Parts: sequence; C-alpha cells; structure tokens
Amino acid sequence: MSYRRLPILFIVALFIAAACTQPPPPTGATGASATPQATGGAASTLVYYADVSDLISLDPAVAYEFSGILLVHNAYETLVKFEGADLANIKPSLATSWDTKDAGATWDITFKLKSGVKFASGNALTADDVVYSLQRVIKLNKSPAFLFTDIAALKAESIKATDASTVVVSMPKTASAQGFLSILTFTVGGIVDSKEVKTHETGADSGSGWLLDHSAGSGPYSIDHWTKNSEVLLKANANYGGTKPALSGVLVKHVPESTNQQFALEKGDADVARNLSPQQVAALQGKTGITTTQGNSLLLVYIGMNSTAKPLDNVNVREALRTAIDYDGIIKDLLKGNAKKVQGIVPVGLSGANESAPFQADVAKAKALLAQAGQTAITLELLVPTGPAPGGVAWADLASKLQADWAKIGVTVNIKQTAQADLLTTYRAQKGQLVMILWGPDFPDPDANVGPFTDYAAKSIAYRNAWDDKTIAAKGRDAALITDVTKRTAAYKEITEYVLHNGPYAVLYQPTELFGLRSNVKGFAWNPMGWLDFASITK
Amino acid sequence: MRFLGYLIRRIVGIAAVMIGVSVITFAISHVIPTDPAAAALGDHATDEQIAAFRAEYRLDRPLVEQYVTYATGILHGDLGRSIRTRRAVVDDLVDSFPATLELSFTALLVAMLVGVPAGVWSALYRGRPPDLIVRLLALAGGSIPVFWLGLIVIGLGYYQLGWFPGGGRIDTFVQPPPPRTGLYVVDSVIAGDLDALRSSLLHLVLPALTLGYFSTAVIARMTRSSMLEVLGQDYMRTARAKGLRERVIVVRHALRNALIPTVTIIGLTFGSLLSGAVLTETIFSWPGLGRYATASAVSLDFPAVLGVTLLAAVVYPLANLVVDVAYYWLDPRIQHG
Repeated sequence: MSYRRLPILFIVALFIAAACTQPPPPTGATGASATPQATGGAASTLVYYADVSDLISLDPAVAYEFSGILLVHNAYETLVKFEGADLANIKPSLATSWDTKDAGATWDITFKLKSGVKFASGNALTADDVVYSLQRVIKLNKSPAFLFTDIAALKAESIKATDASTVVVSMPKTASAQGFLSILTFTVGGIVDSKEVKTHETGADSGSGWLLDHSAGSGPYSIDHWTKNSEVLLKANANYGGTKPALSGVLVKHVPESTNQQFALEKGDADVARNLSPQQVAALQGKTGITTTQGNSLLLVYIGMNSTAKPLDNVNVREALRTAIDYDGIIKDLLKGNAKKVQGIVPVGLSGANESAPFQADVAKAKALLAQAGQTAITLELLVPTGPAPGGVAWADLASKLQADWAKIGVTVNIKQTAQADLLTTYRAQKGQLVMILWGPDFPDPDANVGPFTDYAAKSIAYRNAWDDKTIAAKGRDAALITDVTKRTAAYKEITEYVLHNGPYAVLYQPTELFGLRSNVKGFAWNPMGWLDFASITK
Repeated sequence: MRFLGYLIRRIVGIAAVMIGVSVITFAISHVIPTDPAAAALGDHATDEQIAAFRAEYRLDRPLVEQYVTYATGILHGDLGRSIRTRRAVVDDLVDSFPATLELSFTALLVAMLVGVPAGVWSALYRGRPPDLIVRLLALAGGSIPVFWLGLIVIGLGYYQLGWFPGGGRIDTFVQPPPPRTGLYVVDSVIAGDLDALRSSLLHLVLPALTLGYFSTAVIARMTRSSMLEVLGQDYMRTARAKGLRERVIVVRHALRNALIPTVTIIGLTFGSLLSGAVLTETIFSWPGLGRYATASAVSLDFPAVLGVTLLAAVVYPLANLVVDVAYYWLDPRIQHG
C-alpha cells in the first residue's frame, strides 16, 4: 500500500530538494543577502534587534510605548524639538519660530511654519496639516491624548490656522506653556499628512486603522511594513528636507531573548542589540568587531513610604531609612555601574534636576534619627514587583540589599513580592507601607515629575503615599507656570531640596540603558526620551 | 455510515469540551485578584482612565453577564479585543497560528521519522549498545527542560557551528512568500520561490529539533516496548518459520502491529508540542501562538489568553480524533461505535 506513504515521501522530497538547490549561506556574513528587500539589502540597512512586544501602533496619536515611540520619532517631525540629549532648550523644527502672548484669559502660542516642507507622499506641509494632526490626537483620545487634554488643558477648538503657514494654540492659564512646548517635542506632536490620511479614513477612525502600520510623515524614514510579532522595516524618505539618512533602511527585528540578541550581534547578523543585561555587556567587552555603549534614561527607581502608616508618619524615621541605604553598593555591585546616583525627584537630564545626593549608608546618623523619633525596633513590609528592575538587576535582589542595609539600624523589613499590576493596585489604594517601583516622566519637563511627586490632589505618587503637603504642592503648581527659564529652574531647585528631606521617598538610582553595537556602526546616540535618530547612523 | 455517526458524535463532544473550557478559563481569568485594568494601564493611569477601561471591557458588569456577552461573541466568531495589542483576538490568532502549526508539524514529523526507527532499532538490539544509546537519549529527552535545550541548540547550531540561523522564520533579507496558507514552506512551494523555501526550511531545523526532542523520546520508548511485545508473539515465529525476509517481518508483521500504541502517543504528544511551543517560540523568536500566549499572559491580557485556550481546546481533541481515525486505518478490526 505504497500510496499511504505518499505524504511522507512528499515532505522528505521537499527537504531534499530545498537542501540541494544551493549550498547554505554563511549565516555570519551580513553581506550574504539573497533577495534584498525594499531598502537595497544588508549593506545599507541597519539591523536592530530588540524586544518590541510592547508595539501597539505606529500612529503618532496612539503610540505611547517605548518601541512605538522609537519608530514614530523617525517617521514624523514635530513643530519644535530638543536637539541631541539636551532636554532643557527647545529648538525650532517644523516651526521656525513661536511666540507666547498673554491674551487675557489664555496663553496664545503662535507658530510660524517652515516653508517648502514635503511629506513622504510629496504633498506640501501646511498649517492645515498641523491643525488636523493636533486636533486628531484630541479627537482619537488614545493613550498619549491626556498630554494635550489634561496637562495642556487643550480642546480641539484651541488649535487654529490663521493662514497657510501660521498656527495659533490657545491654552488656559492654569496650564504651563513651557510644559506644552516640551510635550510638542514628543511623538504625540508628530505632524501627519492630512490629505493622505483622509483618503484612508474608515468611519470615525481618523485614519488610525491605516496609520497603525503605515506612516504619513515628513521624517527621515517612512514605514515600509510591519509584520506583526516579527519586524518593522523603515525605509529612507526620498522627500525628506533635512540631511539625507546615510542608511536606506532600518530593520527592527523582534527578538525577545537577550541571549539571541547577543549571539546575533557576535555573529554579525545584528548591528544593534537593544536588551542586553549588564552581565552580557561585560562578557562582550574586548570582543573583536563589537562595541558597547550606554544611553541615559529619565527613569527613577524609588521607594515610596506611606506617610500615614506608623511610624513612617514621622519625618525622622523616613530620613533614617533614606540615610541607611548603601546607594553606592547598589550601583557598583548590583547594577555593575549601570546607573547614576540620583536622589532627587527630577532625573538628571531635565531642567530643574537637583544633583545633590547627600545620603550614603550612614548607620550612626540613621540610628540617631530613629532615636530622635523615639523608635527602637521597627517592622515594616516592603512591596516589590517581580522580574527585572531597570538597569538589569532583579527587583528581588534590590529588595534583599535594602533589607540588609536597614537591618543594620534595627529596622526589620519583610519583603512581599507581587506582580507589578497587583503592587500598583495596592499602592494606588494607599495600602502599601514601603513600595519599591519606578517612575518615568510623561513629557520632558520637570513638571512631569514634580506634579505627581508633590501634589496630593493629582492622585498620583504623593497620593499613593498619603503625603498631603499643600504648601509644596502649591509651589510645584506655581513653578510649572513660570515662563522665565532661570526663575523656573531656581523654583524647582527649592522644591526638590525640600522633598529630598521631607518627602516620603527614597530615590535609589537613575538607570542607564545598555547597547551592543557592531564596531562599524557609527553615530549611535541614544536620547533619554527613549529614541535615537536613525538618520545620523552609518555602518 | 456507522463511521459518519461516530464522527458527528465526536464533533459534538468537541463542542461540549469548548463550552466547558470557556466557562472554566473565563471563571479563572476573572477571579484572579489582579486587576487587568491596572496591568494594562500601568503606573500613570488616572482613576477615570481605569474606570473607563473597566467599562470598555465590561469588567464592571456581573460575571455571568460578562460570560454571556463573551459566549455570544464566540458564536459570532468574535473572541473580543486583546488588551495588549488592541486588535481583535481572532486576527491575532489568525496571524500567529500558522507559524505554530508549521513548527509543531515539523517537530512531530521529526519525532516520528526519528522516534519510530530508533524505537525499532532499540528493540531489535535489546540489551546491546544501540539499545543503550537510544534509551539514554530517550531518557535525556524526557528530562531536559525545553528552554535549556533551546539555548544549547542555538549555542551549538548557530553560534558555534554557524550551520543554521539563530531565530525567526526566514532570513532577514529574504522576502517571505506571498501568504496563502501562512505556512512558509507550503507558500514558498506554491510561489515556486526556492530561496524562501530553503531559508524557511533552514529556519525550522533548530526549533523543530528542540521542540520535537521530547516527543521523539516518548515515541522511541513507546515503539521500543510495543515492538518487544510484538516480537515475542507466536505469529512472529510463524513468519520466520515460513522463511520471510527479516525486513518484511519487522516492517509488515511487527511494526504495523506495534504502531497502535505509538499512534496514541503521537496524538498525545501533539498536545505537548503546543505547550512546548510556548517556550521554544520565545527562545527562537518564532512569531507563533506560543509567544503570543506568553506575552498575553504576562500582561494579563485575558481576552487573548482565553482565545489561545479555546483554540487549544479545539486543536487537542481534533488531534485525538485524527488518532482514532488512524487506528481504524491501522487495524480495521477496531470498530468505532
């Protein structure tokens, strides 16, 4: 009954036929491309290995995840921008100039647009595109929309074109004009080609179904394709007005396992490995053909102390806990140097960051503080998420280190590890005692940290720690509205200094990002906002 | 006709299994203490956003009402919307299932092509070195964790030797074939694209070996023991006595009769292939259902987890049905009734 074996024979034949067609290519050689895709093959394409499981949409009005932001940033331009890693000075981009006027009840910001800008489609960029794009964010009301509607208190009708190259945005005086300009540098401020997008609108989706995996921007690259769960290919935008990108394509491959990323980097299949642990980076040091580099982040890893849970309601107890922690040990030993020693509530890199870091494992002083508070033996619960903390150390290891540090001053800490979502539910309900977690600002402005960390009424971090200090909250709100940059920075310095000693927080560190690169990759500069400009990279 | 009636009864049975599975998984995913809204929206969400999310996913409704809405959706081919990817779960499953199917079938094929001959060989050389080698490898196959094996296989086959690619379904710079079935190998053949065929076959080797090792071991052990049993039967002695060639004796007389328990095991290991795919796919960057399930479970994306579970609840009994039909083919004396 030989016909029964036909299926098996067929499959075996397939294997043999395929194996015989050509000798296998050397997997190590990046030049061994067979049929190059749209971008002209391996030599002119940057192959970027990363875990992009967070990717949801490539629409600037929707994307609010690290991977989405990285890709959207390279496909769209914004009215204003930060240059390089400087997140203190706002520079022109699609807007050549802007002017903030006191219009009585509102701040009116007038943007003058650059002329001659074209989208990837060839359409000219006009004020109508700007109005369409910014209104679209409010209308769609997706994850990043709160930056416009809550932080900047904008409504769709607040955004108007007065002529083909002028846009006026009116915002209530309760919101910070400086903060809004910072928000506009972010991907949510990306300007879309309204003519193109309108042709792809389905129902009331404002084209978000199409922009999910296409692009309609004026940035150096445009989206060629996104194969879900596999890869996103960017190809150079021929109509880009700035310096032409050196590489005609960027291929972002979804590779969740960091070991695979390391292997592929060493074999030359990957040009960049995004998610390497400090141990892997250490192992790659000195290997030929490979370099490693660091990038700054704006994250803070901190401990929240519930200021109504006894004895944490005593400011000296909180100061004692902060004083006893061995910050240097955490950074050197646990994180292999992969972090900055930052103790203020504004990360280094933003204006208003307070670089003062007065605490470091002073057991005698911490004990004295406890004695002052009339406390000898304290037992507390420390809530900790599962998995790895930013910087590449397990949350559990950080917790053990803190437990040991605090044991030296007679504070017993019981560690309770839960999924981050569970931890957040407890934390939000003010039911934690000590909670270890991270925070990243929503937009590159000190207000994005000072607000949540000081304002109880904002129902964010201060609320979760039951810290209701109305004076400092008011100072935080006032500082946000200051338009003079020097005065604003001084105001933030005063606030952060106060929170450092009186707030319910112990900021542990500001992690840095680690990357493995092939040595021929040049011009790689990570921006703390969570992106890099692919256009400046050569290989 | 009797066979047709049997088939219909089995299919009704599968539907009953699905109802049971959907009730149980739905209940489990909704009684776990973690709030999916907190998981999905994260640290920065306001109370209003959390409330809106709970309303959107009907988490604020009574559990029974939630289930009825969900079950009604299933009947209309709607498995809800994934919290993580924000897409229809059905679309996500359609995207990722072919990759898993291709990998699992290849792994099963490897397991059968290696496991059955190894088991036969081992039985024929009982107690001698070939038998010991097979039994040792089979023991290892049953005890090595998949994620560890996967890393070793990549480390050797890709990193050290460079014979095979280190992950994904196809070379970075090879265009995938136009999708017809979603199986790259089949689609490459349909398109007549030899580059894509070669690349997708090469990409299957390491993950299929990893995923198939456990099944290979189980199949080899089962084939060995049932072969030993059959080889001791009277009719084997008769076959030898009448002077048949050894090859005919082993293949026609012994193996065919020894295969029945093996077929059962093959059906059962198909289920383990699906669960093994969860880890294998993550290690080999394989864009399939297993990786989708992992990512969904980690982010408490319960509509997605429910969707994957229901799909598994269909595939697993279907595999068993295929096995039962295969019995009939192997031994016409077996009557389904």
